[in-house]
Amino acid sequence: MTSPRNPLRSPGDRRLPRVPDPCALVVFGVTGDLARKKLIPAVYDLANRGLLPAGFVLLGFARRDWGDGDFEGLAKQAAQKGARTEFRESTWSRLSESIKFLPGSFDDDHAFDTLAQTLRDLDSTHGTQGNAAFYLSIPPAAFPTVLKQMQRTGMSDNRESGGWRRVVVEKPFGTDLPSSKELNDLVDDVFTAQDVFRIDHYLGKETVQNLLALRFANELFEPIWNAHHVDSVQITMAEDVGIGGRAGFYEKTGAARDVLQNHLLQLLALTAMEEPVGFDAESLRSEKRKVLGALKPPRDLAAYAVRGQYDQGWLAGERVKAYRAEEGVADDSTTETYAAVRLEIETRRWAGVPFYLRTGKRLPRRVTEIGVVFHRAPVLPFTKTDTETLGANQLVVRVQPDEGVTLRFGSKVPGTTMEVRDVAMDFQYGEAFTEASPEAYERLLLDVLLGDASLFPRNEEVEESWRVIDPIEHFWAEQDEQDGAPHLYRAGEWGPKAAEEMLARDGRVWRRP
Amino acid sequence: MTTLWDTTGTAVVKALGAERRKAGSVSSGLALTLVVVVEEGGVEEAEQAATRAAAEHPCRLIIVVRRRPGAPEARLDAEVLIGGRLGPGEAAVLRMYGRLALHAESVVLPLLAPDAPVVTWWFGRPPNLIAHDPLGVLADRRVTDVSLADDPLEALHQRAADYAPGDTDLAWTRATSWRALCASAFDSIERPARSAVVTGAPGPTRELVAGWLRAALDVPVESVDAGTDGMSEVRISLDEGDEVCIRRDDARTALLSRTGQPDRRMPLEPRELGDLLAEELRRLDADETYGRALAHATGVTGLSQQPVQRSHVWHDPTEAAEPDPALTTS
Repeated sequence: MTSPRNPLRSPGDRRLPRVPDPCALVVFGVTGDLARKKLIPAVYDLANRGLLPAGFVLLGFARRDWGDGDFEGLAKQAAQKGARTEFRESTWSRLSESIKFLPGSFDDDHAFDTLAQTLRDLDSTHGTQGNAAFYLSIPPAAFPTVLKQMQRTGMSDNRESGGWRRVVVEKPFGTDLPSSKELNDLVDDVFTAQDVFRIDHYLGKETVQNLLALRFANELFEPIWNAHHVDSVQITMAEDVGIGGRAGFYEKTGAARDVLQNHLLQLLALTAMEEPVGFDAESLRSEKRKVLGALKPPRDLAAYAVRGQYDQGWLAGERVKAYRAEEGVADDSTTETYAAVRLEIETRRWAGVPFYLRTGKRLPRRVTEIGVVFHRAPVLPFTKTDTETLGANQLVVRVQPDEGVTLRFGSKVPGTTMEVRDVAMDFQYGEAFTEASPEAYERLLLDVLLGDASLFPRNEEVEESWRVIDPIEHFWAEQDEQDGAPHLYRAGEWGPKAAEEMLARDGRVWRRP
Repeated sequence: MTTLWDTTGTAVVKALGAERRKAGSVSSGLALTLVVVVEEGGVEEAEQAATRAAAEHPCRLIIVVRRRPGAPEARLDAEVLIGGRLGPGEAAVLRMYGRLALHAESVVLPLLAPDAPVVTWWFGRPPNLIAHDPLGVLADRRVTDVSLADDPLEALHQRAADYAPGDTDLAWTRATSWRALCASAFDSIERPARSAVVTGAPGPTRELVAGWLRAALDVPVESVDAGTDGMSEVRISLDEGDEVCIRRDDARTALLSRTGQPDRRMPLEPRELGDLLAEELRRLDADETYGRALAHATGVTGLSQQPVQRSHVWHDPTEAAEPDPALTTS
């Protein structure tokens, strides 16, 4: 973080951009999908917006027999294809000077020695002052090897390098509580805990940060943000795509581990947490931790933890195949592609308010949203037929796409009879502010380089999340042993019937996002 | 306006989002999604009517044209526009060819306005069974028009046999102005009715008015043919030989006569399709009065006990012995 003693920086001066110290960004697995589609474009966008320091170096590391030039070609292609901002040759030529590539496999001692030496050389050639961030865009199985290499060469040590050394870890953070603990111990052992950044790219989205503004900067919402007024909360993350080419990963993971454990629980935490004392990393993370700690897995798992798997069907005008027919998936796979659970938060604020979380693939539309459903008004002055089509008030935060907020309330239908009907008032984030929202990765990458950890979950949060998910996974594993299988749903439907029944039991229905 | 040829539902959803951003409106209000099922030849007329209704009810308008379900290639063409010729709201015209015509819901489902009620209107021959059409199954309100069927009276009977709360028919909407006159004539009458005669061209609207009177007054009601176009007269006999009669006078007025009182002229304006549709969109809950009138018009009983939700019944018009007219398009 920029030195607080710099007399030219004052908190009141909002014109100055936040620019990190000179540093190197080392990406392991730089030829992978994520690096090409997200990381390299994000680096380019940051450079284009003038948010990268003069002495910035992008260092790619992968098992390819490449020189700097080959990698630059790939990076340029990726930037041209994926960048949000306009592609400018002048920006690129400046950035390309500081792009380097190191070939090597993860168990190759020599390659890591070269990497350590390169980082030391950069101090003098680019003035990076020993600062480096390591982005582990690699399968979790390779984590221990890479981390041990970094420890062996002293790359991960702040003191030895003379600057800061940070590490960025992608989900999945383990596959259950013990494995996640093991992983956390390993990472925290190699790096200091405050230098570990666990990326949950949902938290980098503008609307998610806007949720905090909505809740805590307004007088309107916070007083009704509790069990007195809120009937239930529905958090949905739907994808229209299938598993693509990730069968190997998905077969072992499933929807609950892939999405529920991280994205959905983080969204839940931000929706339900108490007001933090400040927006610094420590305050935010401890409030989130408290909520996650108060979260109770459903008592009746058979009724309130529903899993589903997509069958063949028609989606958005095209025929798509069943999950079990996807390449690399077993014919009798019981991996869930849909998960819906009901959770409760045992705090004074939320006692008795169910939080319904659902996620799935091959649902009709790609959408992520948080729906806060309020109690129905007693509507005493109205007759039953007046308000027959009146639903409950809802506040919906759309995380993606079409980021924004919708408020639903009852309104009189113009005409001579007193008839009240729901109307939706829609606020679209992209239109109210002309600056296009930065991509999540752009924001998060910048935060890593600045050392601002407020949008990154802490290991305690990850562990609390596993504590909630583990019993559900165990229950499903038991079902598997008794020849149970996920409920099938047609591709292009909003999930299995059983999920609808789960809400019907509580006298509620899922929102149609 | 965005026109997409040989596209996918996902691209249509994206185009709609892009159009919204381009339109630059920060907030918009949507009360419902109106799905219009229409054949190619009727698109223009349906668009006009829907646009008129959309002016009164802020809605997202989705016009679905299904063509040649037997064609080997599935294909989707789409037109997305906001604030253009289809009224102030968001609109999409979807043309589906080949097998996709039988899976129209896969394109429509992602386009529905979030959590808003869905009204499906068949502008054309009504379906035999609404459950055959997935676009009817996903709707909260379904509007048919039996007057466009090959045999309107048979179609009305079929509507009763296939009834679920939330269904209505434009033949019933056309009866509203007649029903309003009858009801206002009765406002000052305290004597019970004895019988009634409804005269007009044979058709579903006359039968529904008769059914409504039968259900509401609990008296015998007779239907009499007349060589006119549409309804021509409602005559209700009261106790002690009195009588109330509402008769169409000319294209715009009706004559209300009652024993012992001077005749009164009342407005009876012809209404356009768009106005009828706008009236349908005003109520999004089940019309119980229609259910009762339909039951008494057709003699089919137990209508109000029908389940509210239908589940889709697979129907392939290219293979069925009796293809459902709503799905059989050229």
